[in-house]
Parts: sequence; structure tokens; C-alpha cells
Amino acid sequence: MATEPKAAADDVKIDLFEDDDEFEEFEINEEWDDKEEGKEVTQQWEDDWDDDDVSDDFSLQLRRELESNTEKN
Amino acid sequence: MSMGEAHRRITEYLNRFSDAISSQDGATFKSLFALSSNSPFLLSLGDALNLFQDPNRLIKQSDNYSQFADILVPLFRSLLNYRQNNLLEAYNAFEKTANAFIQEFRNWESAWALEALYVIVYDIRVLAEKADKELASNGKSPEKLKGAGSVLMKFFGTLAGKGSKRVGALYVTCQLFKIYFKLGTVHLCRSVIRSIETARIFDFEEFPKRDKVTYMYYTGRLEVFNENFPAADYKLSYALKHCNPQSEANIRMILKHLIPVKLSIGILPKNSLLEKYNLLEYSKIVQALRRGDLRLLRCALQDHEDRFLRSGVYLVLEKLELQVYQRLVKKIYIIQKQKDPGRAHQVKLEVIVKALKWLEIDMDVDEVECIVAILIYKNLMKGYFAHKSKVVVLSKQDPFPKLNGKPVNS
Repeated sequence: MATEPKAAADDVKIDLFEDDDEFEEFEINEEWDDKEEGKEVTQQWEDDWDDDDVSDDFSLQLRRELESNTEKN
Repeated sequence: MSMGEAHRRITEYLNRFSDAISSQDGATFKSLFALSSNSPFLLSLGDALNLFQDPNRLIKQSDNYSQFADILVPLFRSLLNYRQNNLLEAYNAFEKTANAFIQEFRNWESAWALEALYVIVYDIRVLAEKADKELASNGKSPEKLKGAGSVLMKFFGTLAGKGSKRVGALYVTCQLFKIYFKLGTVHLCRSVIRSIETARIFDFEEFPKRDKVTYMYYTGRLEVFNENFPAADYKLSYALKHCNPQSEANIRMILKHLIPVKLSIGILPKNSLLEKYNLLEYSKIVQALRRGDLRLLRCALQDHEDRFLRSGVYLVLEKLELQVYQRLVKKIYIIQKQKDPGRAHQVKLEVIVKALKWLEIDMDVDEVECIVAILIYKNLMKGYFAHKSKVVVLSKQDPFPKLNGKPVNS
């Protein structure tokens, strides 16, 4: 009887750490050319995005908000 | 199936086994251990073993087989139980086979049986997982996966020597990682990583590509847990660059952990990447960073909380708040600059309070002052406080330094 809670606790533990990001196995002798795809995927990033542009909708709304508030002050 | 047919199938298996060893035929040899592959040959052997009451007698009949009885007897028991879906018994017997195999493998000078070793290493993990599910469903403590980890450490020890067998060490390491991640005992990865990365006998580049990619994926994830973002970026980017382009599921898994790392060092994924690999849970987070929209970031984290927690990236994403604050204050500064260039570098804290209120985030001036102090301390802003007038005076040169691929100062 005393073992039942322990079993339940272990059951929870295994669910808690269930790793849904387990890497799929490659075939044992699987070979591939990674040159092309590697290049394509590594070009999918932007490191110079933080510009001074404030013409997007969010910035325009922010501007309106700040200006309406300064007028009230 | 007749008794004669059962006898024939068992004998055929035993002949293949001894012939593979005598001719060092690795390809045939590996297929004889692949329980979880459900190959028709092994399934029919399982049926034959079920019918033929005493297969051990056949093993002991000939010297060709009997010298490998320590491998074959438990292997037959494992096959039989696997066929009957007794997964716990199948695992227990297979573990005995694995231990006997490693004794033989040590005695073989060349690495001809390395592929068979890979199959055994893979199957012991898979069988252990299935056995643990069976144990858990019967209300018992699941402990076989942990046991499989101990067996694989023996395998690792055998491979971690000089000579041609050492190229197999990384495959075993990757299977150990899968076990430790599944059990939530990732601290156990450390000793294996130390062996791979510091032992002089290993040259990382000589390992097979598939193992290097898997290794970099798991060690990259460990670096994410430790918040070592430059190392995580290097390792996960390596895995991404070298991954099989056909393996979209694996590319997606790498990106799932690489994207939070890239965001943390100020690099954004293009939307086309998120769409291609169905990672749209990150699109609002990217949008929030671009805009400086704190409300959007918090909503995105809330919407996908379960998913991010399961992947272990939630805390990393939560820390992006500072970058979002930086972007918001920068936008306020640019808007002021366009209106009144002379006084743009003086930003009233009250203005930031109002911007946050517009985003439905209630903060008073003291709280905002605290946030701005952190931004200055973390080098996300350059400036100082005019405390009495509740103004932050920004540097006239580069008031909002970019991360340039480096993490936020801790």
C-alpha cells in the first residue's frame, strides 16, 4: 500500500520530463551534401533591423498618443 | 508454421550469425540485432521461437554457435518476448545480450561490428522506453531507461580508447543525451561532454556528420539551459548548417531552440523562415521586438506558454522584455527628436509611463525609473538620471547601443 503513491509520483516525473524535442535518428550510413541548404538557412536572419524608422502603424499611433498627451499637459 | 519450418528459421538465423562473424560482414550482422525495426525476418524468427520450445538446444549443438551463447540465448528470449509484446521481459533479456556483446566487441581488433553496436545501442534505449511505459501503466516505478544509461556508459568506455572503434563514441554519446533529456537528468551529460571535448584521443571532425549534428543540437540546448548564449548560438548554428536538408523535422527542432538564442543576441529570424518550418509561435515575439510593444510580447508568451515551457525556452524569451523596453524608449526618443531636435536627449519618465499606459501596462514613475536604471546598467541605454526633475538624459552619441550578436550584459 505504501508503494502506490511512490509509483504515482514516478509516473508524474516521467511525464514532466517527456521531451517532445527529441532529435530524429539519421540512418546509420546516411550521407548528404549540406553546402546548399546550410547556406539558405543561415541567410534567413536579420541583424540590422533596429533602425530609426518610425513610419510603421505602431510608431504612428505611439506618436499620436504622445502628442495628444503633451497637448493636454 | 510447422515445427520443421520453425527449426529451419532458427537454424538459418544462427548460420547467418556465425557466418557474419567469421566473414566480418557488418551489414548482415547489424540486421540480426534490430528488434525494433520489425523486419519480417526477425518477426518470423519470433514466431518460430514461440513454436520451438527449446531453441537453446540448437545454440549449444554446434561450436559455431555455442561460443556466442551469452549473446544468443538472451537475444532469443528478447525476440520471443518482443514478439509477444512483453516489453519488460524483452528489455531485461536484451540488456543481457548487450552486456555479452560488448565483451565480444572488445576482443575484436577492428571496428567491423560498429554498425551492429549502433543498432544495439539504439534498441536498448527504445526498448527501455517501452518497458518503462509498461511498468508505469502497471503502477510500478519506471527504471529501465536509467538502467539503459548505465549500460551505454559501459559501451562509451569501450569506445573511448585509441584505434578505429573510437569513431563510434559520439553515436553512443548522442543516445545517452536522449536518455538524460528524457529523464530530466541533464547534469549527467557533463562527464561525457568532458571526455569528448577534452580527451586528446578524439578529433571532433573525424566523427560521422549525423553524430556531429545531433551532438551539437543537444549540447547547444544545454548551453541554452545555462544561458551561455554565444556557445548556444555556435553549437545550434553548426547543427543547423550541417543538418540533412531533407530532415525538416530536425531542422525545425534546431530552430525551435536557436531562434530564442538569436533573439537574445539581437538577431531576428525572417518571417519566411518561421513560415517554412511552422514556427509561427515566434512571429509575434519578433514583431514585439521590432515595435517595442511590451503588451504584444507578454500576450505572445501567454498564448504559447505551455509550448515554450516544454521546450525550456520560456525564461529566455521572458528576458527579451529589456530589449523591448529599449526599443520603446528609442522610438519615443526618435519621435521627440523629429519634433524638437534640441531637447530630444532629455526624456521625461512621465512620457514613458504614458506610452506604457497606452499599451495597457500600469507603471508609476518610480517603477519606470527602475526599468531605465536597469537598461543603463545593462548597456542597452547610455545616459544618466536628473533625479529631481524625473528626466533621463541620454548620451548624444549612440544612446541606444546595438547588441551586435552579443548577449545583454548580465
